[in-house]
Amino acid sequence: MTRALSFREAVALVARREFVQRARDRSFFVSTAITIGIIALFVVFPRVLSFGADAYQVAFPGPDGPALQAAAEAQAELADVELTVVDVADADEAERRIRDGSLDAYLDGDSVVVERDLDTSLRAVLENAHGSVAGRQALEDEGLDPDQVASALDTARLETITLDPEAEERNTRGTIAFFGALVLYGQLLGYGFWVALGVVEEKSSRVVELLLSAIPARALLAGKVLGIGLLGLAQLLLIAAAGVGVGVASGSITLSGAMLQPVGLVLGWFVLGYGAYACLSAAAAARVSRQEELQNATTPLTMLAMLSFFASFYVFFNDSGTGPAVVSLVPPVSALAMPIRMARGDAAAWEAGLALVLMLGLIAALVVVAGRVYEGAVLRMGAKVPLGEAWRSGRRARS
Amino acid sequence: MLELDSLSKRYGEVVALDALSFSVRPGQMYGFVGTNGAGKTTAMRIVLGVLDADAGQVRWRGRSLDGDARREFGYMPEERGLYPKMRVLEQLVFLAQLRGAQAEAAAESATGLLERFGLGDRVGDRVEQLSQGNQQRVQLAAALVHDPSVLVLDEPFSGLDPVGVDAMATVLRERVDRGAALVFSSHQLDLVERLCDAVAIIREGRIVADGTVAELRGGSGRRRYRLLVDSAEGWADQLAAAVAGAKVLDRGEAGRPALVELPAGADDQALLAAAQRLGPVRQFGPAEPTLVELFREVVSDSPATNDAEVAA
Repeated sequence: MTRALSFREAVALVARREFVQRARDRSFFVSTAITIGIIALFVVFPRVLSFGADAYQVAFPGPDGPALQAAAEAQAELADVELTVVDVADADEAERRIRDGSLDAYLDGDSVVVERDLDTSLRAVLENAHGSVAGRQALEDEGLDPDQVASALDTARLETITLDPEAEERNTRGTIAFFGALVLYGQLLGYGFWVALGVVEEKSSRVVELLLSAIPARALLAGKVLGIGLLGLAQLLLIAAAGVGVGVASGSITLSGAMLQPVGLVLGWFVLGYGAYACLSAAAAARVSRQEELQNATTPLTMLAMLSFFASFYVFFNDSGTGPAVVSLVPPVSALAMPIRMARGDAAAWEAGLALVLMLGLIAALVVVAGRVYEGAVLRMGAKVPLGEAWRSGRRARS
Repeated sequence: MLELDSLSKRYGEVVALDALSFSVRPGQMYGFVGTNGAGKTTAMRIVLGVLDADAGQVRWRGRSLDGDARREFGYMPEERGLYPKMRVLEQLVFLAQLRGAQAEAAAESATGLLERFGLGDRVGDRVEQLSQGNQQRVQLAAALVHDPSVLVLDEPFSGLDPVGVDAMATVLRERVDRGAALVFSSHQLDLVERLCDAVAIIREGRIVADGTVAELRGGSGRRRYRLLVDSAEGWADQLAAAVAGAKVLDRGEAGRPALVELPAGADDQALLAAAQRLGPVRQFGPAEPTLVELFREVVSDSPATNDAEVAA
């Protein structure tokens, strides 16, 4: 009832098992749900906060109320402050409403009345409104034509001339890539640890001998890295979709191509970074036989990931010079650093290309080296297998 | 035919296998016995390709083994191992698929095996929820699920209760009768003697005895007799003195029969006549040595066996 199994089929079988078994694990569900919850809070919270901070209930009960109200509304729009005008019969009612909290301030003649203090942003709006109404009134009192005054005031505008018109957008993209890299640093550690845990689990449960009697060690390794990688990517996309969905629904985020470009860059580089990191994790984990020793075995990898993490800070806060350029070329650090420079437009095409080639080269080398260490160590139970010994006994293994 | 041809393996200074050779025919149940560290597990790992031999070859149907040929093999490693958190049926299907079986056929075969082992209602349980004995049954099912032509089982009966042993032995016998070649190692020599068509005894990486149990018994030409004579204490020694070449293996004091060995070609009627001269003979008959006795004999006339303790 059996037929020959190709290397690729063996990899696919192992990858599918990893994907399905882990996706069904309750801890996977819980961690995904928690992450989505945190992201949703981050996206929604500033919006909720701003509601309290920059939105005001104001009344204009005095004789020049309508003029003040119009000027204040115009100013509020310029200053991005939300102003709700409350109709009141007179100053007494306005004062009563301030005391019971249903009104933030009222403007009457030359004075503004509040309960305790006046927020800076509301003060600016009301002062400007009052100033322009009072100024126009003064000019009209001098006998000038109100329409001429209005048109004279309207022409006095400050124009902004940007020397680098795309700079702002590029900076925004760089910032998105930076925060993407921060999030992915955590995921890189997490998924790498999944791979390490999976390797040790097979070793400590001894099922690895049964598996290797059926398929080559490299197929088992490749399937594990692939399956966990795909699950990680699916989780990331799920989290990203949930985050963007919540953001768009609550109005905190406006979707645009400019935003999607850095997200795409970060994800693409993440796949490469995961490839390198997962190979290293598997090789490190294959050397130990018990979960308790795993932390110790993967410490150098954690350090490497932290180095990449700091490098992304360095590149983010230094947008010129050779330092960031060099850092963003070195694999595997480039996985977190390069997308920031690319998103910001700092990296020349050849730099991005070189970083990509170096990264792919490192991954190819790691597949060979880690594969051999894995082969040489994964069947050796007991004490931690010395690296050299794993390397030597891996040589004789078949592919 | 599964042939192990001059397999050698060293772990540093320790010789685990020293030109080990034996062969198993389809339809044959082959017992593989030896002291701890004699090299049984190392040999089996080499057959399954989990370990490489330094020299020698394993052949199946006359061809050197590769990964493709090994999909016809079923393996039960000495170190039992299954995914603890994976469900029983899913796990068996997965392991069968790794050996090239189709998912539907594997599920059918796995369900049948689990029912045979009395685990029909546990198919959806995680392996870690099962008792040790039941995990052992699932482990055997994992070796059988893809209907292999060659079964290599390392200590398949250890840890099973007598009922479990019988159930497992019945299933294995069926597979062998349908043409599978089965080699298994065991320390339960009475079981090996009862089940196996042929036996190999391994010592320090070499086969020191090989053949059917009857052949092993007949090998030296010496025969043993159990007899009981109604006479004073010490009759057994008097009897041995009276018959040329006779040797007392067990004096059998206090009403128990004695065990006496005659050299090849000696006349057992002379032994009986000598016994009758000592007193009334209550019991006289040939005593076949058990595999345990043969094993002790073969293994004990050796120098050191203990420094061959290998991690395998």
